[in-house]
Amino acid sequence: MRTHQPGASAKLAVRFGVVAFLSVFFAASCGGAPTSATSTPASRFPVSITAPGGATVTIPRRPQRVVSLSPSATEMLFAMGAGPQVVAVDDQSNYPATAPKTQLSGFTPNIEAIAAFTPDLVVAAEDTAGLVHGVQALNVPILIEPAAKNLDDTYVQIKQLGAATGHAADADSLVASMRSQVGSFVASVAKPARQLRVYHELDNTYYSVTSATFIGQVYKLLGLTNIADAAAGAAPDYPQLSPEYIVASNPDLIVLADTKCCQQDLSSVAARPGWRVIVAVKSGQVVPVDDDVASRWGPRIIEFMRVVALHVQQLEKQAA
Amino acid sequence: MLSVQVGAAAVPPAVLAGMPRLRWGWAGAGLLALAASCGVGVLVGPVHIGVGTVVQTLVGGAVDPGQANILWSLRFPRVVLGVLVGGTLAIAGAAYQGVFRNPLADPYLLGAAAGANLGATLAIAFAPGTSVLGVNVVPLAAFVEGCRQDRQRSGRHHRGAETLQAPERDQRAFRPGKPAVSGAYALGRSVTGLRSATGLILAGVAIAAFFNSIQSYVQQTQTSSIRQVYSWILGRLVTAGWDDVLLILPYVLLSVVAIYLHRRLLDALTLGEDEVTSLGIPVRRVRLIVVVAATLGTAAVVAVGGTIAFVGIIVPHTIRLLVGRSYRVVIPLSVLFGAAFLVLADAAARTVVAPAELPIGVITAFLGAPFFIAVMRSTRAAAL
Amino acid sequence: MSDIVLAGVSVAYDGEPVVRDLDLTVASGEWLALIGPNGAGKTTILRAIARLVSFRGEIRIGGRAVTELSSRDVARKVAVLVQEPQMPAGMTVAQYVLLGRAPHLGYLGKESSRDRRIVRDVVRRLALEELASRPLDRLSGGERQRAAIARALAQQAPVLLIDEPTSSLDVGRQQSVLELIDQLRKEQELTVIAAMHELTLAGQYADRLALLVGGRLAAIGSAAEVLTEPAIAEHYRAQVKVIQMNGSGTAVVPVRN
Repeated sequence: MRTHQPGASAKLAVRFGVVAFLSVFFAASCGGAPTSATSTPASRFPVSITAPGGATVTIPRRPQRVVSLSPSATEMLFAMGAGPQVVAVDDQSNYPATAPKTQLSGFTPNIEAIAAFTPDLVVAAEDTAGLVHGVQALNVPILIEPAAKNLDDTYVQIKQLGAATGHAADADSLVASMRSQVGSFVASVAKPARQLRVYHELDNTYYSVTSATFIGQVYKLLGLTNIADAAAGAAPDYPQLSPEYIVASNPDLIVLADTKCCQQDLSSVAARPGWRVIVAVKSGQVVPVDDDVASRWGPRIIEFMRVVALHVQQLEKQAA
Repeated sequence: MLSVQVGAAAVPPAVLAGMPRLRWGWAGAGLLALAASCGVGVLVGPVHIGVGTVVQTLVGGAVDPGQANILWSLRFPRVVLGVLVGGTLAIAGAAYQGVFRNPLADPYLLGAAAGANLGATLAIAFAPGTSVLGVNVVPLAAFVEGCRQDRQRSGRHHRGAETLQAPERDQRAFRPGKPAVSGAYALGRSVTGLRSATGLILAGVAIAAFFNSIQSYVQQTQTSSIRQVYSWILGRLVTAGWDDVLLILPYVLLSVVAIYLHRRLLDALTLGEDEVTSLGIPVRRVRLIVVVAATLGTAAVVAVGGTIAFVGIIVPHTIRLLVGRSYRVVIPLSVLFGAAFLVLADAAARTVVAPAELPIGVITAFLGAPFFIAVMRSTRAAAL
Repeated sequence: MSDIVLAGVSVAYDGEPVVRDLDLTVASGEWLALIGPNGAGKTTILRAIARLVSFRGEIRIGGRAVTELSSRDVARKVAVLVQEPQMPAGMTVAQYVLLGRAPHLGYLGKESSRDRRIVRDVVRRLALEELASRPLDRLSGGERQRAAIARALAQQAPVLLIDEPTSSLDVGRQQSVLELIDQLRKEQELTVIAAMHELTLAGQYADRLALLVGGRLAAIGSAAEVLTEPAIAEHYRAQVKVIQMNGSGTAVVPVRN
């Protein structure tokens, strides 16, 4: 509900006029991405974005009240400098710490609660419980950016969010930076004498990820063999592995993505029955990572990749 | 006074045949089934280990250390845990069916599972990975909650009008770091008046629903832990180790022995309450002891294995259909066949989609239900 | 000794008095029939004697107060035949009768061969031998009643309390059951207290009748003394004619005008 202050309508009209004029102007000049680092506020609006699901969303003007119901999107928005435009993020969006965390839920969204923030753009990761329908009924554009399957998806999402919030240039440079860092990580892990095996752990009942997942793709890029792929027939994305198999596979590297949920670390892994003989445990190559970093597809995946690449380098040095 | 005619003749066959007895044939079959399933259990798994190696490992011969490690640290304890869990769930199910004279009673009837689920969910959501006295807090919380909220049942039976005292509200929130007081608490709290079976069941249903709702709420708000909670609720022996075996062994033994000793009394309980009392049997005490024993066992195995469904219903009923209804038969055979069943189900859980695992609750339901239907149809059983 | 003395016995359910200040004495080996209109408290008195319900006052069996006895001791003195005994499906006759030995076993005790022989004898006495391994749900009504009696006898208790032994039985079965009980009580010197609604049969088989009305003892004595037209008219509100049949007891015949 907009609160009308005296003179607000006039200001609004002026803004409208400027936006409309400038957007026409820039659209006419073949609306390519500007090369300057900071994008001018009124550039390239209204903008039409075709979200990964196929829906086309039109955002009429630069949003100033963005509500993010997706922790990954939140991270992306803040990384590209759109933070000041974000008025509310969901209860799982705990990074960055300055993000305005609320009780809103991305799993069970409450349209009224969202509406209370008078958003002009809503970003979410999935259309649950009639979210899209409900937000559209409020005449607010909603962008669904679902879980990325690989890094390219992430880059596309960052660019889309950049276009949606008027930070196209920032988004582009963020993507470029990510690409180059990924490239350097991949280059830094020279081809090892033999394929190194990795076991990525989601929780302490041995749920893992296959190469069909986002995180699995990262391992693939770094040239690692993911032991969970053998179980892809049973569960294409997140199989629960048998501990016998894990022990027998003898992974060189164990990545623990259950440090926050399940308090796992090297000592707890070593204490598991039969696990001490695993080469990764014996050589201490058990890497704890932040659960959130490993489960989101935002810019922090670079940090994840950096840590893994570092350990792979260590392994290769040991092997040499 | 009825004068005892101590006749010289032995009891005639017709009369003897009618006496309730566990025949050696069936006991032997149960032991055989258990042994066979354990054999299968130690031989199958996602890692192929030959029979010879298994035997050598057991007798202490020289074997590849990798395989020996898998057998001793993973497979053997998992099979043993399967025996303990399966046997306990089956006997607890039979015990509840006897105490409540309800064929649909299962070990989770009084909400032991709901309480354990809630305890585990709370622990998973808020304090995972922490340990109390060396025991991981998840099974501990499950055990405490599973035992405790059983004790809150109290029924008062007035002649002519059953009135139920409202179950005491659960005031204590789980506080990590406090030592487990479940045993003392559970037994110290006297359940006043367990004379109303229906009342107990109703209270149990209500309590279970209440705890389930809290558990669902917690799960909803702590969505990052959903996968763990889900896997726990369906049950799994995937994390089995000797630690788990040792942890639950005392409770399981206590539970099974106590229920076994009461098998004759469970037969007597099938008469009406007045009739049983008029036979000089302390109904309340029997119910209390059996319920406590069954709950203790159930809570312990649920704490390490999650809430594995079906075993407590399918196994005792199948035995009733195949062998006989007397608890002198059902109780001991439930332990043997329940253990065998679960060991086989667990073997299937880790081989069917190897190297992935299936939640064992899926297997027990999948195997148990059709088997039970087949047995029911083929033996033209009397109404359950 | 198995005489029964009730002194000042009162029973209340939920505050409602059902039996009021009752004094009653039953001699050892006697058959006392409790008669009276519905709700007079007949069943309640039986339950009180068997200590299945709490009461005020005193009840003594063989001189000993039932409240001082453990429930096992009570079960060894008193066997109860309820009006509709539970017959668990699938339980055999022999097993059912064996349950009657419970008061003589320890809490977790097992039956001995002596117990089994007693069951054998009782089963034989009640002509259930061929049915011994048949499940209860495959017996006729009369056979089930005999099984219930057998179980009560297996208890070897000197007192037998019966609640409506003849309800839902046809007239032939009614007679044979009562004859059987009479024979058994003479053989075993049992004291029998039976709540009976069939007045004529009560008069024919019981030594004495106790007429209960509203929880109080309205009359007690022989059939001829208690079964009078004015008494029945007053307490049962029924029109009857009472006929003394020489040697065959007192007949109470409903009259329709």
